[in-house]
Amino acid sequence: MIAAATVSGIGRPRLGKALPGAIWAFLLLTPAFVSLASVSFYPIVNGLYLSLTNTSLITQENEFSGFANYVQLWGDAQFWNAWWHTMWFTAASTILETVIGLGMALILCEAFKGRGLVRAAMLVPWAMPTVVTSKMFGWLFDGQNGIINYILLHAGLIDQNINWYGSPDTAMTTIIIADVWKTTPFMALLLLTGLQTVPNSLIEAARMDGAKGWITFWHIRLPLLMPTLLIAGLFRALDAFRVFDLVYVLTGGGPADSTETLSTLSYKVLFSTLQFGYGSAVSTAMFVTEGIIAIVFCLYLVRQIRRAQ
Amino acid sequence: MTDIKKGPVSGSKPVAHVTIADRRQFLIGSAGLLGAATLGMGTGLGVRRARAQSRAEISFASAAFFGKETFGDLIKAFNESQDRVLVKNIELPPPSSSTEVYQGLVQQLARRTGTPDVFSQDVIWIAGFAAAGWALPLDEYFPADKRSAYFSGTLNACTYEGKLTALPWFMDSGMFYYRKDVLEKHGGKVPENWADMATVAAAAQKAGDADFGYLWQGKQAEVLVCDAVEIITSNNGAILAPDGKSSLINQKAAVDAIQFLHDTVNATKISPQDVLSWDEEPSRQPFTSGKAMFMRNWSYVYPIAQDAKASQVVDKVGVAPLPAFPGGKSSACLGGYQLGVNANSKQREAAIELLTWLSSTETQHRIALNFGLAPTRPALFQDEKIKTEQPFMASLETVFTGATARPITPEYAKVTLALQSGISKALVSGNVQAEMDTLAAQIDQIVG
Repeated sequence: MIAAATVSGIGRPRLGKALPGAIWAFLLLTPAFVSLASVSFYPIVNGLYLSLTNTSLITQENEFSGFANYVQLWGDAQFWNAWWHTMWFTAASTILETVIGLGMALILCEAFKGRGLVRAAMLVPWAMPTVVTSKMFGWLFDGQNGIINYILLHAGLIDQNINWYGSPDTAMTTIIIADVWKTTPFMALLLLTGLQTVPNSLIEAARMDGAKGWITFWHIRLPLLMPTLLIAGLFRALDAFRVFDLVYVLTGGGPADSTETLSTLSYKVLFSTLQFGYGSAVSTAMFVTEGIIAIVFCLYLVRQIRRAQ
Repeated sequence: MTDIKKGPVSGSKPVAHVTIADRRQFLIGSAGLLGAATLGMGTGLGVRRARAQSRAEISFASAAFFGKETFGDLIKAFNESQDRVLVKNIELPPPSSSTEVYQGLVQQLARRTGTPDVFSQDVIWIAGFAAAGWALPLDEYFPADKRSAYFSGTLNACTYEGKLTALPWFMDSGMFYYRKDVLEKHGGKVPENWADMATVAAAAQKAGDADFGYLWQGKQAEVLVCDAVEIITSNNGAILAPDGKSSLINQKAAVDAIQFLHDTVNATKISPQDVLSWDEEPSRQPFTSGKAMFMRNWSYVYPIAQDAKASQVVDKVGVAPLPAFPGGKSSACLGGYQLGVNANSKQREAAIELLTWLSSTETQHRIALNFGLAPTRPALFQDEKIKTEQPFMASLETVFTGATARPITPEYAKVTLALQSGISKALVSGNVQAEMDTLAAQIDQIVG
């Protein structure tokens, strides 16, 4: 149908009459497919291939080595260290952002004066480039002159400045806070659209039956919002799993590797030590973990939908 | 990934019209100098190109430094100074993005297309580039008598497996900054021993004359390796054995040195805990705002400290060699940039000509005055003009003379990542010996 419409739009080319619609459709889709294949499929396949070789720019080696890289990866403490940090970052930031985002969405869903303005203002943190956010949080949590320490000190909550980025106990937490600040509005926006699809008549009917706000939320809004929540959570988890810029700007993976994530590790292995083979194995392991996360989310989503039916 | 800005710098436009006569003149004049490559251009298919531009075209890639002029201006001056070679300047990111500069360069060199013909490189890349066969050995062009004009430390760093694969350009090294006024009140003598330094710093801190006694750089980054090289070497220790095939970092000398750094934060408390997340600039700021007594940093700090717009301590800052341990010798980590020629360059003679010009006494003089980057030729430290305009350089000569290179190994990129992680762990946890044992095993595996 699309093809037919497009053909007539082009201005009746003779060729168009000779070709059936399906072929036209394929022809028109080819550019999109080619560009997708070259920027998306090719790098994945090439990465998979490289991970099975000992390619290194420095040693100039480029031979097939089977699963040697993966065997090495399995015993690599640095990889597992980064893997756990990445999982922890993903879980913590996704859960916090979903909960806080849901709260924000519920507030924004209500009718109040200046709602348009609040909705627009809410998006500012999300629209900001991550590098800018990172620098900002670098200053906020600065150990010497940061305003966070100043506030905590004057509120009597701490008795000496905390060096947020210089201690393994606080560095990752601080990065998670920065990420929550930045990405919660995105979650709120996704959940807000979900909330708005819940028919008002259902909620009104519940209210007529005497249900209080909390009960309508728990028994009507939340179950109906569940698919949206899961999809938003999936989006967020996959994105959080790739965290790079926040870590790169704020700590570079330190101190003592306490904020190393899979992205920063693979960046270092690939582009600093130029071990393309081993680095590809790290990023392939990342790809596989992400795939598993996506499958878990999808299975849960399917179950939810079935139950709803 | 890395944006490499290609194209000539404004002003260095190629000569558009060259007459046949000019070309003939040029061919005669330059045949001896430029050799077969250029002659080939003047015959056969090359004729049209030669008519448009009768100069050997080469490219130069470097991290971007700024001062009263840029490296683009420098290349322009070279292009105007003669009529045989035409250089196109490829500007890489500034040296603060050293990793990006490295990646940009490697991606070009690995293609083996001959571009860039000449490049500048950090000392730690030299061995890797040489081992990969990307750097042209320069021994035949710069024999022993020409080399003697340079500092021996930088020459060592430019040598890989007995071959000179880079030419010293300008240098930098770690140095010891102190506050003259605060020191006056606390003994007046610049400490030459780490323990004395800690005592004086603690006393000044206790008396309220400085918020911080000693600032250094403990962030898990390249600079941490530099700080470590200095302190370990000043205790007669080393990171790698002389043959480069095994690690010495878990030996007593190195462990004691790292322990000293750990103690500055946790025992003597002359350094704030923040140094563990600070690289160069965050540690420089408290010093130039007058909060600290001593600091380890690079030479770029001196001009900033003397600039009334950026500094509260104008005329109060002194520079000295870093302290050492008893029985050890002060050690400064070698920094700075060196020049190299692409082994795949199709215009070797022209490349060597540019190299010679860039590293010449005249150009190094110009770089010292206009960029504030120290020469690699000791003779220039006696130059009157440099002494008046960049007075800090003269006081640094002793520091530069003994500068120590970071481990020279083609696997440096892997070694440095292991060092950054291992030393950071030791500084954070305080289990120095245990962390150094683990680190030594890792390094042995990388270089062995």
